Amino acid sequence: MEKMSRVSTALSGSALTGRTMHCHLDAPANAISVCRDAAQVVVAGRSIFKIYAIEEEQFVEKLNLRVGRKPSLNLSCADVVWHQMDENLLATAATNGVVVTWNLGRPSRNKQDQLFTEHKRTVNKVCFHPTEAHVLLSGSQDGFMKCFDLRRKDSVSTFSGQSESVRDVQFSIRDYFTFASTFENGNVQLWDIRRPDRCERMFTAHNGPVFCCDWHPEDRGWLATGGRDKMVKVWDMTTHRAKEMHCVQTIASVARVKWRPECRHHLATCSMMVDHNIYVWDVRRPFVPAAMFEEHRDVTTGIAWRHPHDPSFLLSGSKDSTLCQHLFRDASQPVERANPEGLCYGLFGDLAFAAKESLVAAESGRKPYAGDRRHPIFFKRKLDPAEPFSGLASSALSVFETESGGGSMSWFVDTAERYALTGRPLAELCDHNAKVARELGRNQVAQTWTMLRIIYCSPGLVSSTNLNHSVGKGSSCGLPLMNSFNLKDMGPGLASETRLDRSKGDTRSDTALLDSSATLITNEDNEETEGSDVPADYLLGDVEGEEDELYPLDTEHVHSEEPEYVLPQEAFPLRHEIVDTPSGPEHLQDKADSPHVSGNEADTASLAPVDSSSSLLSVSHALYDSRLPPDFFSVLVRDMLHFYAEQGDVQMAVSVLIVLGERVRKDIDEQTQEHWYTSYIDLLQRFCLWNVSNEVVKLSTSRAVSCLNQASTTLHVNCSHCKRPMSSRGWVCDRCHRCASMCAVCHHVVKGLFVWCQGCSHGGHLQHIMKWLEGSSQCPAGCGHLCEYS
Amino acid sequence: MFVARSIAADHKDLIHDVSFDFHGRRMATCSSDQSVKVWDKSESGDWHCTASWKTHSGSVWRVTWAHPEFGQVLASCSFDRTAAVWEEIVGESNDKLRGQSHWVKRTTLVDSRTSVTDVKFAPKHMGLMLATCSADGIVRIYEAPDVMNLSQWSLQHEISCKLSCSCISWNPSSSRAHSPMIAVGSDDSSPNAMAKVQIFEYNENTRKYAKAETLMTVTDPVHDIAFAPNLGRSFHILAIATKDVRIFTLKPVRKELTSSGGPTKFEIHIVAQFDNHNSQVWRVSWNITGTVLASSGDDGCVRLWKANYMDNWKCTGILKGNGSPVNGSSQLGNSNPSLSSNIPNLQNSLNGSSAGRKHS
Repeated sequence: MEKMSRVSTALSGSALTGRTMHCHLDAPANAISVCRDAAQVVVAGRSIFKIYAIEEEQFVEKLNLRVGRKPSLNLSCADVVWHQMDENLLATAATNGVVVTWNLGRPSRNKQDQLFTEHKRTVNKVCFHPTEAHVLLSGSQDGFMKCFDLRRKDSVSTFSGQSESVRDVQFSIRDYFTFASTFENGNVQLWDIRRPDRCERMFTAHNGPVFCCDWHPEDRGWLATGGRDKMVKVWDMTTHRAKEMHCVQTIASVARVKWRPECRHHLATCSMMVDHNIYVWDVRRPFVPAAMFEEHRDVTTGIAWRHPHDPSFLLSGSKDSTLCQHLFRDASQPVERANPEGLCYGLFGDLAFAAKESLVAAESGRKPYAGDRRHPIFFKRKLDPAEPFSGLASSALSVFETESGGGSMSWFVDTAERYALTGRPLAELCDHNAKVARELGRNQVAQTWTMLRIIYCSPGLVSSTNLNHSVGKGSSCGLPLMNSFNLKDMGPGLASETRLDRSKGDTRSDTALLDSSATLITNEDNEETEGSDVPADYLLGDVEGEEDELYPLDTEHVHSEEPEYVLPQEAFPLRHEIVDTPSGPEHLQDKADSPHVSGNEADTASLAPVDSSSSLLSVSHALYDSRLPPDFFSVLVRDMLHFYAEQGDVQMAVSVLIVLGERVRKDIDEQTQEHWYTSYIDLLQRFCLWNVSNEVVKLSTSRAVSCLNQASTTLHVNCSHCKRPMSSRGWVCDRCHRCASMCAVCHHVVKGLFVWCQGCSHGGHLQHIMKWLEGSSQCPAGCGHLCEYS
Repeated sequence: MFVARSIAADHKDLIHDVSFDFHGRRMATCSSDQSVKVWDKSESGDWHCTASWKTHSGSVWRVTWAHPEFGQVLASCSFDRTAAVWEEIVGESNDKLRGQSHWVKRTTLVDSRTSVTDVKFAPKHMGLMLATCSADGIVRIYEAPDVMNLSQWSLQHEISCKLSCSCISWNPSSSRAHSPMIAVGSDDSSPNAMAKVQIFEYNENTRKYAKAETLMTVTDPVHDIAFAPNLGRSFHILAIATKDVRIFTLKPVRKELTSSGGPTKFEIHIVAQFDNHNSQVWRVSWNITGTVLASSGDDGCVRLWKANYMDNWKCTGILKGNGSPVNGSSQLGNSNPSLSSNIPNLQNSLNGSSAGRKHS
């Protein structure tokens, strides 16, 4: 109890002082009641009935009213009440139906005064009249309420609740003759003690039993009721019909409710099951308790404010056999701990933000408010009972959307949709993807693709089919590449020559001849290249000088970073090797001579210059490649893929992985690949890019990924002729031996996308059906069914 | 640039959480008024409330979406000590015609004896699982063994954190190399300076969650915690909302080097720490690629943080509650005086790869 503090309240005449404290009782308490001097409290339970003095530091047991050797059921108390006018007068309600009064002024040890044995079942509640010294009211499980005059031996009047059990009775504080009673069927009744024949008013207050009620100490007409339906309701009883003023929703059934003194809108509640805490609510903010006392380890059974004019001391008794004094300023305040903001990043880069209105308002306001705003955060606010209610807290919800519709993730979607991952030669894929990236303004990615093309699309690697293909479209694949480098000094003559060469190269007979000549050209070009230095430098990534010319599109960032990482230092040794090692032709010659070189490869070699001579770069690259197998770059490429992945661009990592296929796969461990695939697929699915996602799954080589597509999807199809389920595999019906997948419009067998109505089993080509449905909603097969397609 | 779209939420008390669904087309809000609202984005981009219902009998602290593979499923947690799982009912009804959808409670998780402060579904590859944490310091992990039956959840794990928990975050990594991992933050405000962030990892051998790490440097109450979307990274990024915004990276140390079977060891680095909110930070949230972090604090602002190629995190934008950029460089704090205060074109800054970083 480190948070205990001391409070003294100046009241008229006397001062209450104390701290948060508790004392252990011998047995669980059922009810407590405070003496009017606010210095003593009585605790009653099944096997306890004691009076404690509330001292500054502790509770001190003053009197044990449970005397006598054999325990009497009369002493098993369900409720206890201390008279608010007579300090010596107490009343208890026993579980056996007996109402007992106690006179502390009696000289003997046994203080028992009178015994009323009129109720047949447990008496749930006893209540003294607030101003009349001798009037006691009781409410019992047997459905009767009885009014006793303590000067007489038996009850003055009996009020019948029509055999509904009475849970609580409370005299009105302001209306002399009125009392309220609550019932297990959810009703509340208002009685006049002079008229026992029938109640003045009755209304249904709750679903299920109403366990308690309390009249407002100041507001004459206000009655608070609490029920098993977990609600506390405040009723205005002054109007003709009881009007529900407030409704507080608590988290467990409400066992007791007590208005807080001096705080018009506050009341304290405790529950009879599940919840051990005591809450103080401001009825105007019905959802969040203003304060919470968490000391008890078992159900709280009785609560009482220590003094009718002091709002800071609350006493409570509990099933955990403790008696507690709670100080309001030690209470925990759920409001303070509640999170005032919500924030979520959306898929498209939009942000949803909900904030307490005062925070947002303060922000837009002037500077002076800044201090006030933060005040409650750094200094625990002292709850001043007189503090004016700040009004219901509410939040402002707004969504910050990125401009231009698609949002800032559109690059991802565009890239995913437009990238080509397969079905074309590597060089073309790289070029295409580079183009896509460039068009989306992602220059770094574009350059990466271009470099990949340079690294891998060497004569020795590209298969003949690929090459032929690329040759056919030579201009489309070569020229973009050229554009990307913005090479100004390339001779136009060279290009035209290239085309000529290419056309020759296509004829096989010339291959051998061309081989040598092409090699020659290559060599020459190489020399030129090295002399001119521009493309070579570019490849080495050592381009600071020409950078501005080379990357007219680049933003500042990319400028400085590009050479740093795409080709790190490895590029430099590369250059030295070139200088040191013998020149190209011999190498190429070697290659051609080696027995491993198939016809295809020879072909490739011969055609390579043709392909690449359209750009000086490729030519020079061919030279390097002839010495440095792509394996040389694999470390680099691997690092590059990892780099993209760590940067959060798993799209690039996976795309390159797929495009390069076997060339890099072996360099990256299986687990990482799988991780990339699953991450990318998840991302694609978020954007509903199902087709791309499926393609990626299909193209992946990781077993764990590719089996995603084979997860159990079963189509149940009916034959379109006999309407019976098709049990066998395939599209031929077992019974009528006809193909079931006939298009109802064109009467041809459907290959590919087949749509059908699940009602009549007829269907056909997607386009045909769509077209048909534009004109008619009936089945095109003529079966009369009104087809439904979702 | 951002455009603010203000929504009349019509919650009767504070909104405590907002959550977008997997596809970013739906949004759920929860409030102290004990209700949850679901908002759907129309073609025109407006958000329409399509469902609003009372979910709990206390403040609803958090609401979160399950992966759509499991249906349209929400989980909520509340001051009333319960967490609940909700499913949208598909079918023709009057509700549907009015553009309203119907949500039914599939289960109530009642194990906590105190306020349930956070609820989060596990990453999809783990199946249909969810974790809750409560003010009594216990993280509970539930699993629905049959994904078609949302009303049956079994309590699989109870992890005691010793401190009142306020927030949890699953590590979203789908890599087999990364064991399931959950980070827990505590808002315990008692003066004894204990570490407020703990990280628990699932151990295949013992089939239990064991503490892998404690972030000793975080000693102030933590209000929110979020792992960045992993997207193939080999390491994890964790954002923490405490009295300031902090970003940690957790690099798993290679398994071969550590003793096998034990919890993974991590190299933990704090890569950023910002007190620009000048006050309590309440929420942190990552963009989908894990490259931009948004934080919101008691100053009523949302701030966006992004790393440059040198792995220096910087503020790239400030959004006020009403959506306008905050002017005045004084708001930016002294850590990055060179930064311009207006919001840069997010289109560029979100292109995760356009700003390169030297790979180490």
